[in-house]
Amino acid sequence: MEGKGKGKGYAVSHEGLRKLFDLLSSEYELVGPALKEGVISYKVLRSFEELPFGCKSMELAGYYAVEKADGYFTYVRPSNSLKTFLHPPELTIMRVKRENGKLSFEYEYPDKKYCFFDVRACDLSALKVLDMVFLHKNKNPDPYYASLREKVFIVAVNCTNHTNTCFCTTMGTGPEVKEGYDFLITELDGRFLLEEGSERGRRLLESLENKEEARQEDYEEKERRLKKVESSMKRAFETEGLKERLYGRMEESFWEPVGKRCLACTACTQSCPTCFCFDLLERASLDVSERVRVWDSCFSPSFATLHRFNLRQSVHSRYRQWLMHKFAYWLDQFGTFGCVGCGRCISWCPAGIDLREEVKRVAYG
Amino acid sequence: MVENPYFLKEGRVLKVVKECEGVFTFHIATEEPAEPGQYNMLYAFGAGEAPITIASVGEGYVVHTVRAVGNVTRSIDSLREGDYLYYRGPYGNRWELERAFGKTLLILSGGLGLAATRWVFERAMESPVKRLIHLYGSKDYESLLYKEFYEKWAKGAEFHITLDRPHPEWKGRVGLITELLKELELEKDAVVFMCGPDPMVKACVKTLEEKGIRAENIYASLERHMKCSVGACGHCMIGPYFVCKDGPVFRYDLIREYFERKEV
Repeated sequence: MEGKGKGKGYAVSHEGLRKLFDLLSSEYELVGPALKEGVISYKVLRSFEELPFGCKSMELAGYYAVEKADGYFTYVRPSNSLKTFLHPPELTIMRVKRENGKLSFEYEYPDKKYCFFDVRACDLSALKVLDMVFLHKNKNPDPYYASLREKVFIVAVNCTNHTNTCFCTTMGTGPEVKEGYDFLITELDGRFLLEEGSERGRRLLESLENKEEARQEDYEEKERRLKKVESSMKRAFETEGLKERLYGRMEESFWEPVGKRCLACTACTQSCPTCFCFDLLERASLDVSERVRVWDSCFSPSFATLHRFNLRQSVHSRYRQWLMHKFAYWLDQFGTFGCVGCGRCISWCPAGIDLREEVKRVAYG
Repeated sequence: MVENPYFLKEGRVLKVVKECEGVFTFHIATEEPAEPGQYNMLYAFGAGEAPITIASVGEGYVVHTVRAVGNVTRSIDSLREGDYLYYRGPYGNRWELERAFGKTLLILSGGLGLAATRWVFERAMESPVKRLIHLYGSKDYESLLYKEFYEKWAKGAEFHITLDRPHPEWKGRVGLITELLKELELEKDAVVFMCGPDPMVKACVKTLEEKGIRAENIYASLERHMKCSVGACGHCMIGPYFVCKDGPVFRYDLIREYFERKEV
C-alpha cells in the first residue's frame, strides 16, 4: 500500500518509537525537543523520556506558556530552531598562527553527525531555505554548513496541533510534511504511522521489529488529522504578488508606526530559523588569532556601518530591512521567501509585534 | 568537499609608495587573474579583513591603495617591502568597459575612489573608446593620489583635477567635481563610470541627467560594509543586492531606488 509519503508505511506503538530513538542515538548525536525551564527547545537529547510528550505550548504575540494535553506530539515547533546546530551562534572558522612575520592557517570542519528527531513542516522548509543560502544558490558554498548538513538524518513529524502564532498555511510550508526527510511520523489514535522518505530511512524502518504494515485506515486518519489542523488555521495574508506590493511600500511612512514599537532587541532574528546574517570576529592573543563567525542581526546598530557611521540609524529602517528581506529581497536573491511561517518571531517579540499584522498593514493596508 | 572561501593566500610586498599622510600603495606579488572593478579582502593578523579595490596590476603583482582608517587598514599600512600580506579574492564584478567602445567614456573619481577607477581608466586608454575624459576631485592638495601618473594620463585622455580647498602650490582648478562636470561638453550617449562618497555619486548623477545622460549608461562602484564577500553575512545588502558579489559596480538605474532612499 502506497501512502502519501514517498515510501512504504508502517504502524508502530509508543514502544516502537523508543526503539527507533535508541537505534538512532547509537549512531547520531540526537537533537530533539525537550521541556527545559518551562520552554520547549531543541537540544541534544540523552534519552527518549526527554521528549516533551503531552506538552503543548500556548503562544501569542509576546506570550509563551506550556500546558498539558492528551497525546504525544501535541506540541508544535520548539522555541529555538535547527539553525542553532547547522549555523551555530559561534563557530571558529580558522586559527591563524604568526611566526617570524609569516602566518599559517588551520581550519577544521565540524564533524558532528546529527539526527534531528522531530522536525515539523515549517522547519523542514527552513532547512531548505538555509540550503539555498549557504549551498545551492551561492557560488561559494559554505564548507562549514555543508559538512554538518550532508550528514544530518531527519525524522519529520506531521503537526496535528498548532498554536496561535503558527502561519505555515499562509506561507505554503505546512502543516503537512511533504519532502526532505528520512522518515516521517504521524501520530494517530493510539499508534504512530511511519513513512519512509529515503533509502537510509527505509533500511532503518525495515530493521525495526514489532511493526505492522500501515493500513488504508491509517493513511485516512493521517489525512483527517492534517485537514483538521489546516482548517483550524486562518490564512494571515495573501502571498501571491506580495513581493511586488512591498516593493511599492518602501516609503518611510509605512514603517514608522512599527519603528515606534520595535525595541531592536534582535529576538526575532535569533529565533528565526532562516535568518543567516553573521559577523566575523577576530579573537587574538600574541601569536594566535581565531577567526570566529557569530550570529549578527540587521537590528543591531553596528550592522550596516560604513566607516563607523550606521547607515540605518532609525529603528524603522532596520525593521524595513528585515521584513523586506524576508518577503521581497529574499525572493530575488534565493528564489524563495525567507519566511516559513513558524511564528517564532511573533511569540518571542517582547514588544508583542505580530509580523503577520505588519505585513498586512504595510502591504495591504 | 567544497573549497573554503575564507582561505587566505600569501603575497609578498614588492613595493610600497606613500601617497599622502595615512595612505599607502602596495604592490603585492600574485598570479591571481582579476578584472578592473574587482577587489580583494586583505587580512591583518588579530584585526580582521577589509575589502580593498584592485587599483591596478602589473606583471606578477596587484596594486592596492590603503588608507589607515581602522584597525585592519592601520595594520596593513605598516607593512613594508619584503613583508607578507594575506588576502583572498578577487571578488565582485567588473566595469563593463566594452559598453563605451566607440563612444565617450567619462570617469568621475572622488578621493580614494580614484583607486577603484584607475585600472579601468588605464585600460580605457588602450581601448577603442572614442573620447576619454576623467574628472578627479580631491578634498585638498595633500590628499592627491598617484601624482607620478598625471603627466602620462593627461597625454592619454582629458584628465582634469579639482580640489575642494585651495593650496599655494596648486595652480589648477578649485571647486566641487559637480561644478567641473557642469561645464563639460558631453555627448548624450556617453557612458559614465564613477566612484566616490555616496553624496558625490548622487550629486553627479543629478548633473549628468540634466545633461541628458541616461541612468542606464551610468555605473557606480559602491562602498558598503562587506565582511564575508561571498553573499552570506548580509552586511553589505542594499535592497535585494549584495554589494560584495552583485557589485561593487552597479548600473545606476538598477540601484537608484535603494541608493537614493534614506537608510536602505
